[in-house]
Amino acid sequence: MPLPSCILLVDDDQTTNYLNRLLLKRLAVADELLVAQNGLEAMDALQARRPGPKPSEPVLVFLDVKMPVMDGFEFLQAYEHLPAANKPETVIVMLTTSLHPQDVERMQQLKIAGFLNKPLTKEKIDDVLLQHFQYVPAE
Amino acid sequence: MTDRGPLTAAELAQENEALRHRLQEAEDLITAIRTGTIDALAVQAPEGPRIFTLEGADQSYRTLIEQMSEGALLLSQNGTVLYCNACLAGMVKAPLESMMGVAFHDFVPTDCQAYWEDLLAKAWRGKSKGEMPLQATNGQQRPVALALNVLVFNQTPVLAVIVTDVSEQREISAIRARVTEQNTLLERQQETLRTQAQAQQAAEQTAAETSRILEGMPHIAWTANSAGRNTYLNRRWFEYTGHNAQIDPAHSFSALIHPDDLPGAVQRWREAIESGEALEIECRIRSATGEFRWMLGRALPSRNEQGEIIQWIGAYTDIHEHKVTQARVAEAQELLRASNEQLLRINRDLDNFIYTASHDLKAPINNIEGLLAALLGELPAELVAGPAVEPLVRMMQGSVDRFKRTIEHLTEVTRLQKEHEQPQGLIELAPVVRAVMLDLVPLMEASGAQLDVDVQHCAPVPFSEKNLRSVIYNLLSNALKYRHPDRTPRVQVRCHATAEHQVLTVQDNGLGLKVAGNAKLFAMFQRFHDHVEGSGIGLYMVKRIMENAGGHVEVQSTVGVGSTFSVYFRR
Repeated sequence: MPLPSCILLVDDDQTTNYLNRLLLKRLAVADELLVAQNGLEAMDALQARRPGPKPSEPVLVFLDVKMPVMDGFEFLQAYEHLPAANKPETVIVMLTTSLHPQDVERMQQLKIAGFLNKPLTKEKIDDVLLQHFQYVPAE
Repeated sequence: MTDRGPLTAAELAQENEALRHRLQEAEDLITAIRTGTIDALAVQAPEGPRIFTLEGADQSYRTLIEQMSEGALLLSQNGTVLYCNACLAGMVKAPLESMMGVAFHDFVPTDCQAYWEDLLAKAWRGKSKGEMPLQATNGQQRPVALALNVLVFNQTPVLAVIVTDVSEQREISAIRARVTEQNTLLERQQETLRTQAQAQQAAEQTAAETSRILEGMPHIAWTANSAGRNTYLNRRWFEYTGHNAQIDPAHSFSALIHPDDLPGAVQRWREAIESGEALEIECRIRSATGEFRWMLGRALPSRNEQGEIIQWIGAYTDIHEHKVTQARVAEAQELLRASNEQLLRINRDLDNFIYTASHDLKAPINNIEGLLAALLGELPAELVAGPAVEPLVRMMQGSVDRFKRTIEHLTEVTRLQKEHEQPQGLIELAPVVRAVMLDLVPLMEASGAQLDVDVQHCAPVPFSEKNLRSVIYNLLSNALKYRHPDRTPRVQVRCHATAEHQVLTVQDNGLGLKVAGNAKLFAMFQRFHDHVEGSGIGLYMVKRIMENAGGHVEVQSTVGVGSTFSVYFRR
């Protein structure tokens, strides 16, 4: 599987977005980096992309849990109900600071690729790329 | 005779002699009649014997016999009636004139013939007596007593029979028997009456005694009949209510029971009367001063030998003080419960606050760390490593690390709270201690510590395994961490049982601490030793876990000698 054509960062914290964007840019693992401040903006961003000519190039989404307007859980629900023609293939990883047992249990039941504890680091990104894109970064 | 032909002289002489003899008999008979020796003759006739009575023989005796009210008769040797009086003829319902010459056994019922023959046989030998019925010509029978005697008339024996009608005697004896029977009956009834009177007397005595006892009781006492109607109230009732028994004997309970308690009391009383089960009610009753005081009313049915309820005996006991105290206790308990609930709510809020706070603090501290790294990336490497910047960067990173660690610990505490509800099992101590020791191998090797564990004989404790592990981990790692620098750490793990607890002790020869501030020791983020890396959360967790499970933790310690921590598991 090739690298993601696009990585979407969804977080209401601008500083977090800034730092994550900086990190991903430095790692140079995607052609395109998109940022959304809540679930609703993320829906718009994804729908605008449409499925590409190469459906095997999914969008990697790093999704925050707690956000205003539409939170991570609501986004997942809404995205699932979109017709397949209107959305690109995605690999969704949730980012959270919450280790509340209730939240953890809820996340384990979701149809997502995985969840990570904040902050996002180079090691965590490498791990995601290896697990979901079989990509081993050059040393 | 003329038909017999001529007679010989001898025959004639013989005939002559016979005639002379008969003449002599006739002359003798006439003499006898003249002298009154006989008064009747029985003459053999072709149709049977006939009796010819003669007047004047002995008229006065004859009249007596004729008129006596007992039957009299004379019987010849072959049982023919030679004479009978009017009374006997009446007994057998035959005309007197037809009686002479008949066979007497015609009047003896068939089934008594043998008896009669026997009587006769005895009589001919002298005399006999007997009883049997006589059968009249119309078939009726009547019982008679018979007395038979042999008499001799002119050298000829006859039987004189006196016949007494005993049917009246029979009736009399029957009446007498009936009278006796009725007398017995009367006797028995009187006996019954006497017994009843005795029973009543006993009952009255009992009732009087009961009244006397009830009267003397320090409680209100009452009785009611089986229908539930009040039949008695003791003096105490009238004293309490201020009612006068003489003026107002018919005043009712219900008028004095508090209106709020009345429907319930009436209901319970009705149920008790119906079911026959003991009554127990609590209600307020108005006293003479107008105050309503709480009373405990109890009543039991009193039953007779047949198990029927004859009356109810009840009492009222003043429980006012008790009830008021009870109400006060209930009120206090309600307050306690309310404040408990409030505390629980506050605890929950606090947990949520810690959770939210730690969560909300994580994002900015992560950002500060990230921004610091980004900033350092922008700076020239020689500047960062330089003496002016390097200590600043190190201290900033240190502060960030400490901040993050604190948040981690806070999160751990809230996690502990969530795990409070996890299921418990009966957990063996030994395997858990062994597992913790495996986790602590690096620390043990680094310190050269000697662990002496003897918990094989411990009974399993009802606990969450995860929490038990956490408790033992904290105690053992503390024992190793706060070791004395001058000696080899020795840690003893033991257990023993008390009446209520299974106790696990961890004894070390480490630094020790002042136990005076025991409460502080187990407080959150309390640290006693600066030189050792510690979060100040371990003992707080131990205390929380133990207390959540209904147990507790104790510590004994001497500074410079060592500490012993004891955890008490509820059995």
